[in-house]
Amino acid sequence: MKKNNIQTEFLKISTAIQRNKYISAISGGLGSLMALTIIGSIFTLINSIQISAYQDFLVKIGIKSYLSLPLNLTTNLFSVYAAFAIAYNLAQQFDQDGFTAGTLSLMSFLIVTPLVTLENGYTMAIPFSWLGSMGLFVAMVIAIVSARLYVFILEKGIYIKMPNGVPPIIEKSFAALTPGFFITIIMLVVKAIFAATSYGNIHSCIFTLIQVPLQNIGSSFPALLVIMVLMSLFWFFGIHGSMVVYSVISPVLMPLMLENLAAYQAGEKLPHLITVQCLNFAGVGGSGATIGLVVAMLFSKSKRYKTLGRLAILPSICGINEPVIFGTPIVLNMTFLIPFIVAPATLFTLGYVLTIIGIMPPLNGATVPTGTPIFFNGFLMGGWQFTVFQVIACIISYFVYLPFFKKADAEAYAMEQQAEVVE
Amino acid sequence: MVKRILLACAGGYSTSMLVDRMRAVAKVKGLDVIIDATPESSINKLVEQADIIMLGPQLGHAEEGLRKKYGSKLPITTIDMMDYGMMDGEKVLDVALKLLK
Repeated sequence: MKKNNIQTEFLKISTAIQRNKYISAISGGLGSLMALTIIGSIFTLINSIQISAYQDFLVKIGIKSYLSLPLNLTTNLFSVYAAFAIAYNLAQQFDQDGFTAGTLSLMSFLIVTPLVTLENGYTMAIPFSWLGSMGLFVAMVIAIVSARLYVFILEKGIYIKMPNGVPPIIEKSFAALTPGFFITIIMLVVKAIFAATSYGNIHSCIFTLIQVPLQNIGSSFPALLVIMVLMSLFWFFGIHGSMVVYSVISPVLMPLMLENLAAYQAGEKLPHLITVQCLNFAGVGGSGATIGLVVAMLFSKSKRYKTLGRLAILPSICGINEPVIFGTPIVLNMTFLIPFIVAPATLFTLGYVLTIIGIMPPLNGATVPTGTPIFFNGFLMGGWQFTVFQVIACIISYFVYLPFFKKADAEAYAMEQQAEVVE
Repeated sequence: MVKRILLACAGGYSTSMLVDRMRAVAKVKGLDVIIDATPESSINKLVEQADIIMLGPQLGHAEEGLRKKYGSKLPITTIDMMDYGMMDGEKVLDVALKLLK
């Protein structure tokens, strides 16, 4: 059956993605840093409310400089944390010690990052320039390479052999040192190679050649639209669309979001109009903009959908819609395939256009905790304008789903009536 | 003897709702079960403390891998899509109890 073949293909792809150690190390590593990005976001939001009386107050009671610290030490140091977290994750997947791999990766990342001596001649300092989102690609590459090397050397049992007569415990501790030595030497060579190029260091090179072009392509309208449709399609086949797609795109697209957040805190103009955060335009009620469907269910004729609607409305308000996806069901249900793709695509396009022409301000890059209710999360990400957009989005979602839902409801009602007659 | 049921889904949110309902049913029926939810990433850590693992339908892809790893030690199953969607705690609990026999 054709549908089954397509589903199998999607399932194969998602399984391959989720089983791939490197992709899941990156997304798992970055995911484990969520607490940091959320904390940085929340403090930034508190710190950046643009009401001059409020800002004067913050300066007056002396806490303004404190409130800006979390962002500077989370988002603006993101690559440092990521270098550790991703390496940790990858090593653990190979059943090796993540902590050691993580620290070696962290050291490696710092080795290849510019280190300066201040004017006084003796204080060493690392400029933050490459430690935040701009260094993320390098952090990912270094983490993967160093962790993989670490695992490889341990698994192959390569170690510096001690002459006979040396106590085994010394031999063992040297064995543990071997991966570290190899990695260090390799990283020093890498640093030297890039120092000889016009870029001066690996960050500058990778950022210019890879990160910037990829981010620009990835944050374009067609790319984001494709990403969104893919997410809906994965969910249609019963696969967690957001998880699978995000694990591939977020390392590429996250830095732009973080750059916006840093600018937001500094009170500067946001550098990027469109980032991956813009997928939130369509996320009212969860993937597929299902909130309209749930609202329609509350007023349904059939008992079945009325129950589901009541069950699903609160989670939907918090952006969680598995009950809707599996309970309607939307999975493999041709009745709802069209609205499931059209609704979010429409909302995304609308939000995109409104942002480009300047009616809506660009989203600020803050990471809002999953489960934050609609309208609140909109306000946190884009002010009252985005909240108003969300209201409109709910209405649009409702009308897009309505004709399709009416059909499903009528069928369900008819079945229920028949069942009652039989009884 | 206490039976420990472990549910796993992607983020844990939707599954935790189902868990609440299962616990309510278990209480009414006076069953001796401990039911917990966990995100997929933590399954390996908690598998020692479970008697059965039930996966949310969107984690179907993980079932095969988990069966290979732990299938000999404990039953592993994917929750039926409709039961999950409708958060039918009673049905899911029944499935678990049957597999635990």
